[in-house]
Amino acid sequence: MSRLYATFKYTLISVWAGFVVGPFMWAVLTSFKDANGVQGGATYLPWVQYEPTLTGWQNIFGGAGGVDVVRPFLNSAVITLVASIISLALGALAAYGLSRYRFKIGFIANSDIIFFFVSQRIMPPVVLVVPFFFLLQWANLLDTIPGLVIVTVALLLPIAVWVMVDFFNGIPRQIDEMAMLDGCGPFGAFVRAILPNSVPGLTVAAMFCAVFGWNDFFFAFRLTFTEIQTLPQAVVALNSSIPPWWTLSAAALFGMSPLILLAVWVERYLSKGSLPGVIR
Amino acid sequence: MAQIDIVDVGHTYTAGAEQERWALKPMRLTLEAARTYALVGPSGCGKTTLLNILSGLVKPAQGRLLFDGSDVTALPTKARNIAQVFQFPVIYHSMTVYENLAFPLRCRRWDKARIEARVHQVAEALGLDHRLRQPARRLTADDKQLISLGRGLVRDDVAAVLMDEPLTVIDPQLKLSLRRRIREITEQFRPTVVYVTHDQYEAMSFAQEVLVMKDGRVIQQGTPEQLFEAPASTYVGYFIGSPAMNFLTVERVGGQVTLAGRPLAMAWDVPDAPQIQVGVRPEYVKIVGEPAANVFPTRVRGVRDHGPQRVLEVELAGQLIKVKTPREDGVPATGQILVELPRAKVLPYVDGHLATTPRAADPE
Amino acid sequence: MTLDATDLSLTVDGVDHLKDVTASFQPGRLHTVIGRTLAGKSTLLRVLAGLQRVDSGSLTRHGADFLTTPVWRRDTAMVYQQFINYPHLTVFDNVAFPLKRAGVARDEIRRRVQESLARVGLTEFRRRRPSQLSGGQQQRVALARALVRGAGILLLDEPFANLDYKLREQLREEFKTLFSDQGDAVVIYTTTEPAEAMMLGDVVLVMHEGRIIQTGPPGEVYDRPATTTVARIINDPPMNIFTGRIAGGRIAVDDLQVTRVPAHLADLPDGTYQFGLRAPDIALASAGLQAEVTFVEISGSETFVHLALSGTGFVVQIDGVHDIALGDRVSMRLRPERLFAFDHSGALVRSPSSGPGSPEGR
Repeated sequence: MSRLYATFKYTLISVWAGFVVGPFMWAVLTSFKDANGVQGGATYLPWVQYEPTLTGWQNIFGGAGGVDVVRPFLNSAVITLVASIISLALGALAAYGLSRYRFKIGFIANSDIIFFFVSQRIMPPVVLVVPFFFLLQWANLLDTIPGLVIVTVALLLPIAVWVMVDFFNGIPRQIDEMAMLDGCGPFGAFVRAILPNSVPGLTVAAMFCAVFGWNDFFFAFRLTFTEIQTLPQAVVALNSSIPPWWTLSAAALFGMSPLILLAVWVERYLSKGSLPGVIR
Repeated sequence: MAQIDIVDVGHTYTAGAEQERWALKPMRLTLEAARTYALVGPSGCGKTTLLNILSGLVKPAQGRLLFDGSDVTALPTKARNIAQVFQFPVIYHSMTVYENLAFPLRCRRWDKARIEARVHQVAEALGLDHRLRQPARRLTADDKQLISLGRGLVRDDVAAVLMDEPLTVIDPQLKLSLRRRIREITEQFRPTVVYVTHDQYEAMSFAQEVLVMKDGRVIQQGTPEQLFEAPASTYVGYFIGSPAMNFLTVERVGGQVTLAGRPLAMAWDVPDAPQIQVGVRPEYVKIVGEPAANVFPTRVRGVRDHGPQRVLEVELAGQLIKVKTPREDGVPATGQILVELPRAKVLPYVDGHLATTPRAADPE
Repeated sequence: MTLDATDLSLTVDGVDHLKDVTASFQPGRLHTVIGRTLAGKSTLLRVLAGLQRVDSGSLTRHGADFLTTPVWRRDTAMVYQQFINYPHLTVFDNVAFPLKRAGVARDEIRRRVQESLARVGLTEFRRRRPSQLSGGQQQRVALARALVRGAGILLLDEPFANLDYKLREQLREEFKTLFSDQGDAVVIYTTTEPAEAMMLGDVVLVMHEGRIIQTGPPGEVYDRPATTTVARIINDPPMNIFTGRIAGGRIAVDDLQVTRVPAHLADLPDGTYQFGLRAPDIALASAGLQAEVTFVEISGSETFVHLALSGTGFVVQIDGVHDIALGDRVSMRLRPERLFAFDHSGALVRSPSSGPGSPEGR
């Protein structure tokens, strides 16, 4: 009975793991192939079934016949980083206010304001893109990095607010009160007593911001034309009628790499238990 | 409602550790059916380990555990028929009070009418019979804890109810009333109860018998009165009672125990030992007017007003002891008072342990 | 240098949290505010600290308006019932926090923090985080932080309520010494426990349903509670209050004669009164009134026996720990010379400490 259950359990886990890891491994294998390696059915074992090459990887770093993804990579990095920092800063402040003070504007109370933030993520992006277009056009920011940063902040802020409100609600209110009794003004209490205890919450919010900011394709696609290209755009642009699968795979892996590194780093950080703020 | 026999049960979390360092030293105990027991002691004393062995969460490194004579040492928790109440209320928030109480019975496929009758009976005892239709999540922490207990009591085949610091998350001001309710309920249903706590008030108020634990051992088992009247060690004397028991170092001259150069008579045989302490409760030290046997001069060092009583701190033979006096007796006018240590209430301790048993035929 | 509250009122959702609270808190004295849970004690402290607004009333410090002074300029330290410390800071930095904010010089900070950690016995724990300490130690950190600044106002909101009784006993003992050299700070301590109020306070303020219903030295409040409510609050277990009739030199509850009329009540006219008798002033006797044991609690070294006497509940306190089974029938005897008499509205008419004929002055 328990043997059977164990077999069943591990089979299910293995299938699921294969399902998750499979495509990734497939991309890794493909990125080291060339046209010959891709044609003629599936092959798995390098050196045995096909001869690995670095063509795909050379192509994405400006090799002959390829495209340069370094520039889009930097664009994406700048946009994601700046937008995430702005979103976290504004989001934490907004969330702190929503967590600690009661607002009442007519029938609108705190929970409504939080919902208003979150509702921006409920709307399909298509609805937002047209107003964003006209706004950026009006401000003369179409096809620029600042323009994309602003739009990305608008996308990330609700996430930051949502995550942080929940986190701040879990920190006893007496801690801010005590900081004020100890001589801090309201802002000082936030900076000195609450923020240092919010590292876990900020880390989670930053992860979300980084992932959503980095992976945004739609808005970059619609709000830039020639000057600025982000990494997702560059990867998709490779997708011509006969796609160079090896280049595409290499570009996709390259695009994933910062998030993977980030995930590994955060995971280590969390497991080391070096995050302070064990709040009971 | 089973009798629980703990036969040479001991446990260590680090394999190969010498027995002196085990979390629970091998012990032999019998917990009688339908009685309430409290395991009390500071953190790390082994009380939680013992509870976990009873519940089946921990398999003891050695020894056997018997429920009504049958060996359950190897049985998993669910086969032991025990009910548990934890520090935090464990209830189903999505269900009503009724559904929460009925859940264990539905799992056992009781028929509907029988469930209904039993749930109502238990809910009435819990004082929740008028709130059966309410969603459980709306209840206060103390009511939730009552439901946790109630879920254990609805089954009529429960061998024992194990409670692990059930009042932890309850407001201090509500603890008293919840403790009272739990006690009344257990009086009514009379399961075998093992109640773990680090709070002496709780243990003493709740249980018919208290087991004081320290360093993996049960250092004393007895009714609250026994623990109070004859603590088996100076530790129990300190731990039980407020203010704690007074301990005085005495001399032994020839066959006679003396204190401050005067003989101190005791209703007990005192063994011959280099270092003897005597213990006497602040409640039993009497302020007297005239010198007599067992009366000693003291100097008042401090007075604390507790309301109905005052606690005087007095110096006797260079040692401080506490004396409880009724408020109406007032504060002594002079700094020097005479106190009597009643011979029947003064107990001898050697190496921190009660060093004698009462004389068989004591004139008093 | 006093802190004066005048007619402070606060109503939330139709419930009075504070109702016309007037009190003058004196420098260098320890005030204990005693009341049951939700009596308004915490609200009062929060108002004094500036953490809670009021609907009306005034608060002055040194004679100047204090209500509009923001929290961070009130020179107030507070210790909460929950063990509140900065989780991200070590014990040392927790205690140093208010000094740093006040811009105290580094060496001075170190000296004062070490001194106050030594006073609460935490020197060896200075590098730990609060989460690595036991509850009692955490509360000591909070006490040290409150002490270190020498704040002008010190508020303690049931600081020991969440501790085990042995620790509570110990910290209570230390408390008076700890706070003895706070100079002319106004110290306010809230509690639900009469023993704490009696032991610690220079002045006791009794709160009930948002009002301060009696103020005075502990002994006086204890010996002459102004009303039955005060009598219940200032005693643990609460004073037994029962309605009875004085007629023909006897006191009767319903038709049951419970005791004779004692000397200090002898001049009261016949009629119906509410009588008060403390739990230790009822004895279990071999003969007397027959009652049934409904509940038994053990509190430290005392046994509280709850009795039902033909429908009226009484609590009896006996010294020592005794095994008494629920449902037993016992005999009890009231000590008439310890009786308090209150009128139908609950106001004190006569207490055991007043001689016959002397009306209760207030």
